[in-house]
Amino acid sequence: MDGKGKITLEAGIERAWDVLLDPNVLEKCITGCKKLEPIGDNKYKADLAVGIAAVKGKYDSTIEIADIEKPNHYKLIVQGEGGPGNVEATGTIDLTPIDENTTELSYSYEAEVGGKVAMIGQRMLGGVAKLIIQDFFKKLGKELKRNEMSA
Amino acid sequence: MENVVGKPVPRVEDARLLMGQGKYIDDIGTPPNTAHIAIVRSAYPHASIQSIQIEKALEVPGVKGIITGKDVVQYLNPFSVGVSAPVKYYPIAVDKVRYVGEPVAVVIAKNRYIAEDAAELVKVKYETLEAIVDIEKSMEDDAPLLHENVGSNIANHRSFHYGDAHSAFKNADRIIKHTFNFPKYSATPVETYGIIAQYESSSDQYTINANFHGPFVIQAVMAGALKIPSNRLRIIVPKDIGGSYGIKAGTFPYMVLCAIASRIAGCPVKWIEDRQEHLSASSSGTDRVTYIEAAVQEDGKVLGLKMKMIDNVGAYIRAPEPACLYRTHANTTGAYDIPNLMVDGYIVMTNKLPTGLIRGYGGQELYFPLERIMQMIAHELQLDPADVIRRNLIKTEKFPYHTASGGIYDSGDYEKGFELALATGKYTEFREKQEKARKEGKIFGVGLACIVEPSGSNMGYITIALTPEERAASLPKSGCAEAATISMDPMGNVNVRISTTPSGQGHETVAAQIVADVLQIPREQINVVAELDTATSAWSIASGSYSSRFASLGSSAVYYAAHKVKEKILKIAAHHLQTKEDDLVIESAIIRSKSDPSKKYSMKRAAGSAHWNPLSLPDGMQPGIYETYYYTATIAEPPDENDLINSSITYGFVADMVTVEIDPETAEVKILDYFTIHDAGKLLNPLIVDGQIYGGLVHGLGGALYEELAYDDKGQFLTGSFMDYLCPTAPEIPNITIKHIETPSPVTPLGAKGLGEGNTMSAPVAIANAVSDALTPYNIMIDSLPLSPTKIWQLLQSSKVKTT
Repeated sequence: MDGKGKITLEAGIERAWDVLLDPNVLEKCITGCKKLEPIGDNKYKADLAVGIAAVKGKYDSTIEIADIEKPNHYKLIVQGEGGPGNVEATGTIDLTPIDENTTELSYSYEAEVGGKVAMIGQRMLGGVAKLIIQDFFKKLGKELKRNEMSA
Repeated sequence: MENVVGKPVPRVEDARLLMGQGKYIDDIGTPPNTAHIAIVRSAYPHASIQSIQIEKALEVPGVKGIITGKDVVQYLNPFSVGVSAPVKYYPIAVDKVRYVGEPVAVVIAKNRYIAEDAAELVKVKYETLEAIVDIEKSMEDDAPLLHENVGSNIANHRSFHYGDAHSAFKNADRIIKHTFNFPKYSATPVETYGIIAQYESSSDQYTINANFHGPFVIQAVMAGALKIPSNRLRIIVPKDIGGSYGIKAGTFPYMVLCAIASRIAGCPVKWIEDRQEHLSASSSGTDRVTYIEAAVQEDGKVLGLKMKMIDNVGAYIRAPEPACLYRTHANTTGAYDIPNLMVDGYIVMTNKLPTGLIRGYGGQELYFPLERIMQMIAHELQLDPADVIRRNLIKTEKFPYHTASGGIYDSGDYEKGFELALATGKYTEFREKQEKARKEGKIFGVGLACIVEPSGSNMGYITIALTPEERAASLPKSGCAEAATISMDPMGNVNVRISTTPSGQGHETVAAQIVADVLQIPREQINVVAELDTATSAWSIASGSYSSRFASLGSSAVYYAAHKVKEKILKIAAHHLQTKEDDLVIESAIIRSKSDPSKKYSMKRAAGSAHWNPLSLPDGMQPGIYETYYYTATIAEPPDENDLINSSITYGFVADMVTVEIDPETAEVKILDYFTIHDAGKLLNPLIVDGQIYGGLVHGLGGALYEELAYDDKGQFLTGSFMDYLCPTAPEIPNITIKHIETPSPVTPLGAKGLGEGNTMSAPVAIANAVSDALTPYNIMIDSLPLSPTKIWQLLQSSKVKTT
C-alpha cells in the first residue's frame, strides 16, 4: 500500500520543522499513540493502539527519524508488532517555504502489513491510512496554532 | 414390497438435523478435565524463528502449558508423503515458518478464553526471508527456497507419453495453444475443523475424536508420525460432519498436533477451529498453471494434446498430494476420443497454505484448460463450438472406452447427453437471441462444457507420481476397498455399519434403501450407523468420504453385505422348511416357498433361531447374524510399466450449457440460465442426487465468479474472512435445470456411479466459455479465474484502449 499528498502548514519552515520533530507533539498527534519515549538518537519506542476493520489491538512499535536535512526533508520509519499482526511503514516528508508564515508539506508513504491485519483488514487499509494521516495533520495544525500562541 | 432403490425417498438424517439433534464434533461432550487450546500462528509468509518467549503467557492463571515446535518434534516423525523429495512436514513450524497461519505455538488452558488471551502474550521473534508465491517463478534457479534440504521448490516431476503425439503434431493442420491459470480456492464448510484428543500413558495410546473423513490411509500416516503402532491410534468420527467437500481431509496434521498437546499437558484437549484459521491455515484446492497445445485438423478434429501442468501444493507437500495432478490422469483427454497425449507434470511448493482434497479435486484444474482450448479451436477455425465438441466426443459404440492414459470409461452415451443439453438450453435459438442483443449493445454469451466425472478412486493412482522403477522398489498399490457390516439382532431387526464417514451426502438413507430391497423389509426398520471407529469398524485404507465413492463403492459393499445376510437367512429357512434355498423368496419380511405356498417362515424367526436356538441351525453354521463385506472393483489395477492407470472405478458424464449477460457498465456477469445434463449410471436416490448437483454447481459457480484465497506478491494472505473471501449465497444462485440420462455402469452391482462433483469441475470452465463467447466482439479471451467484475471491467477497458 502506498500513497502521497500535500498540505499547507500555517507556519514558517523553521517553526514547522521544530514542531514536526518535537516528540511531545508527535505523541499527541499520532492516532492511538499511548506513549512515546526516546530510545536513542532520533529513535523512539511507542505504544500504538489502532483498530483496522474488526482488528483492534496494540502494537509495540519503534519510530525512527532518518535522512534528516534540516529544515527541508526527513524520513519516518515505523515498525510495529502486536497481537493483530505487524506493520512496517516508511514516510518521506519534504517541506518547502511558501512565505514567512506558510510552508508546504508534501509526503509520500509506503506501508506493508502482515498477519490478521492483512487477512481481514486489507480492504480497509487504504481508507484507514488516509484517516490516520488526515487526523495527524489536523492535530498538527492545532499544535502549530497553540505553539504560535505560546511563542 | 416395492423396491426403494431409485426412488426419491426423503433423507433419514434430516429429522435429527432439523430438530437440533445432530451429533457433530462439538456436540459429543468432552472427558472430565479437558483443556482447550489456542494456536499462535505465523504472521509472516517466510521467516526463520529466532526465539519464542512464553514466560508471560505461562503466568496467566488457568494456562496449563505452552508447547512449541521444538517440544513437539521429539515425539514425532515428519509426515510421510507419496513423493521422494525429502520434505519435512510437521504439524507445527520448527525452525522456519513457510506460510501465513502456520502454527508456531500451542497454548493449553482451562478454557478457550484463557488460551486465546495467553496466546496474545506469546512473543515470537522472526527474521524475515524473501517469500515466493508465483508458480512459475518458484521454479527458477534463483527463487527463494522453502526447503533447503530439498534443494529446489519442485517436489515432483514426471513426464508421460501415450500413443504417438509427435506424429499427431506433425500431421496436424493447425496447432492451437494457450496458457491457463486456475486459482487457489476453498470449499468453506459451515462446520470448521474440530478435535478432541486424549493420550493415555498407561497404554501409550491416543484416542482422537475428529471430523476427519479419510481417506483412512492417512490413519497410517498419522500413526507413523506419532511413532506408535497403528492400532494405538484410535480415531472416532462423529455421526454428523457439517460439510467438508474434501477440505476436512486436511484435519490430520491438527489431529496429530492435538494428540501431542494432550500427551505433553497430561490431559485431554479440545480444539475447534475458527473461521479465520480455517481460511488461512486448514487446507485448500490446488492452483495450477497449464500450458496446453492441441494438434487439430481443419474440421476441428483433435489428433493429439500436449499439456504441461504445474501444481502449487503450498508450503509443504502433504498427503494426499500430489493427487490433484493424478486423480484425473486416466481421464486427461476428458470426453473426447484423443489417442495421442503428452503430459508433463510438476509439483511446486510456495509460501502459501498447503493444499489437499476439495470437491472436484483435479477436475476443475484439468477441464479449465481443456474445455477452453476446445472453444478456442472453434474460434480459430471459425466453427461452431458445438460442432467441435460433436466431432471429438467419444462415440456411443466405443464403450467401454479405453483412454490414452489407461482409463476404462465403463459406460456412457455422451452424444445423447450433449444433444440433450443443446436441446434443453435451446442453443440455436440463443445464438439468434445473442446476435440481436449484440446489435442492441448488450453482451450475451453461451458456454458449453462436456466433462467426464471420475468417481471411486483407485488407490494405485497416487503411485503414478513415482517412476515405474521407483514403484517396483515397493509393493504395488491398487484397489478401492470399502466395507460394510450388517447384523440382525435376536428380534430380527437390522443394524448397518458403514465406513464412508458421510459429511451430509445422505449415506444412511441410501444404505437403508439398498438393504431394504435386498432383504425385503421396510427401510424404516433399518438402523444405519455412520460413526467410524478405527478400533471397532470394518474399514480399510480407501475408506472415507471423497471422490464420490459412496455410490460406486460404499453402496456395493452394503449391497453385498446384505446379500450375505440374505443367504444366511435363506439357509436357515430352507433347513427349517426342508426345502432348497433357491425355492425360497422373501416377501415383506416373510420367507416363502415358491413350490409350496403353504411353507413359510418369518425373517424374525430365522434371525431368532440364529441367536436363541443355535443348535437348530444347519450343520456347521455359526450362530448369530453379523456379516461384513469388503468390496473392491477388479478394474482398479496398479499402474503398469507404461504408466497406464485406470485412476477411477466409474466415469460419469456431464454436459453443460450456460448463458450469461455482462453488464457493460459494471462488468458484472449475470448467469441467465444453467442447464446441466448428468449421466451417473443408475440413480440410487434422485432426491439426494439433485441436492448434490445443486451443491456442486454452486461451488463451481463460486470458483468461476467469486472465490479465491488471495495472497499478495509478498506472500501475505488477504482473504481471512467471509467479507474478503466471497462465497455465493442464495441470491447468487441462478436458474438451474437438471436432466438425467441413466447408462448403468457394468462395473458396480447396482449400476451406479458417483456424482456431485461434476459441476464443480465443469461450471468454472462452462461459465468462462460463456464469458469468453460474450466478449468475442471485444477480442477478449478468458484464461484465468475468478471472473470478478473488476477483472472483466479491466479487460473491457484495456480492450477499448486497444480498439480506439
